Amino acid sequence: MITAFVRSVGRYGLFCWDCGVSAWRHGVRWDRVMGEASKLGVRSFGVLAVMALFVGTNLAIQGHAAFSALGAQSLVGMFVALAGVREVCPLLAGTMVAAKAGTEMTAQLAVMRTKEQIDALEVMAIDPRAELVVPPLLGIMIALPALTIISIAIALGSSVAVAVWQLGLEYGDYVDWLVSNITVFDLTAAMIKALVFAVVIATVSGWFGFFSERGPIGVGSATNKAVVVMCIVCITLNFFLTTVLYG
Amino acid sequence: MSSGPLISVGRYGLFVGAAIRACLAGRWAFREMLEHASTVALRCFLPVTITALPFGAVIGFQGMAILDLFSAHRLISSLLSVFVIRELAPVIAAVLVAAQAGSSFAAELGAMRIKEELDATSVMSVDPIGWHVVPRIGAMAIVIPALTILAGAFGVFGGWLVVVGLEGQPHGVFMAHLAQDLTTFDLGASAFKGLVYGVLIGTIACWKGFNATGGAEGVGRAVNDTVVLSVMFVLVSNYLLSSLLFSGVFR
Repeated sequence: MITAFVRSVGRYGLFCWDCGVSAWRHGVRWDRVMGEASKLGVRSFGVLAVMALFVGTNLAIQGHAAFSALGAQSLVGMFVALAGVREVCPLLAGTMVAAKAGTEMTAQLAVMRTKEQIDALEVMAIDPRAELVVPPLLGIMIALPALTIISIAIALGSSVAVAVWQLGLEYGDYVDWLVSNITVFDLTAAMIKALVFAVVIATVSGWFGFFSERGPIGVGSATNKAVVVMCIVCITLNFFLTTVLYG
Repeated sequence: MSSGPLISVGRYGLFVGAAIRACLAGRWAFREMLEHASTVALRCFLPVTITALPFGAVIGFQGMAILDLFSAHRLISSLLSVFVIRELAPVIAAVLVAAQAGSSFAAELGAMRIKEELDATSVMSVDPIGWHVVPRIGAMAIVIPALTILAGAFGVFGGWLVVVGLEGQPHGVFMAHLAQDLTTFDLGASAFKGLVYGVLIGTIACWKGFNATGGAEGVGRAVNDTVVLSVMFVLVSNYLLSSLLFSGVFR
């Protein structure tokens, strides 16, 4: 089991290397990259907005529950700012894009593998990696940091709404604690995290789709494995990124 | 076939109604449910634990930074346990089970639909809902609460590793404040959240898989939709459940 794991990590590394090499050799088609980025951004925006809305409300409610026990209600704003901007929103946008765009990419590639379209591309001397994997990879790297910033804005906004209307905190006080605890470094760190997650999502979903087994069961199981691995790797990397960026 | 969002909600409602009818009429496979439950538990155990651990560690890490400003380090463990057990553990367990088992349920049922195995079952006058769907929903409803408790334990342990292991807080101080703001009600509420998410994810996954159309692409689409819809509705209902359970209505 361990040898199988090490072997697949090695294969994944080789796949990433091959993608880099074919991007280098065949050049990047920026029109397709921008197309992927805008498609991804538009498609994921609605779901992400709904999720960010409810994540912001939850952070406010739980922060209030935790800190009102200590009689320190003003800390709620600080808690929401730190937890939301530094940890939750980058992870939220990452897992959301993994669940939506990542699985879509895996399923698409797996279907192309099933229908032997990838083999057909190779036969026609078109590099399938440069054609199918590199544009979405760069597209996700452009879209995910933007989506992260948008989700931060929505989550903070909804937390203000809940804090003022549902929990009855003072508006000026809350917003003051919220805003004064967000630095430019925090936002930059959130975008760095998003960039790392983007690379993980695109390469992992590309790898599972590219080498999936043929047939409907193969497509299903490739998608399934891809989404689990993406979630685990993103959450684990988040811990290391936090330690490096804030340690 | 038209498929606006309202029509989909209606179809989902009818599907859930059919599952409830089959369940109440006793036309469902109990042993099947136990088998699904044990596979789900075994396959989700590792993903849930290895994601809960770094989550707790991150909270310990950032929480120490916040409490540092007030030199109130001793409160870290109560903050950690409240946040992990009430909020994070149910959501982590639900999201990971949705990603691992929910998507595999959708893929299984979708492949059965594409290969006309479901039609074959009903031709043999075995109700596919009672035989394939209800046991899967029941398995989710059993496993997610259990994994929620497990995720809570591992999340707190992850926090302990950072707070006691790295930052050097004495173990006794950590343990003394751990259960300070936590009651049995919180543990029950956490497991209850897991139960609600289990039913939600189970029904969404089975509905999407059961109604998959269009060959291999259809199965991929069903899996994709399952994960997105489950995660979205888990977060939305998490807000409603948190407001309901922890706002003082029940205590």
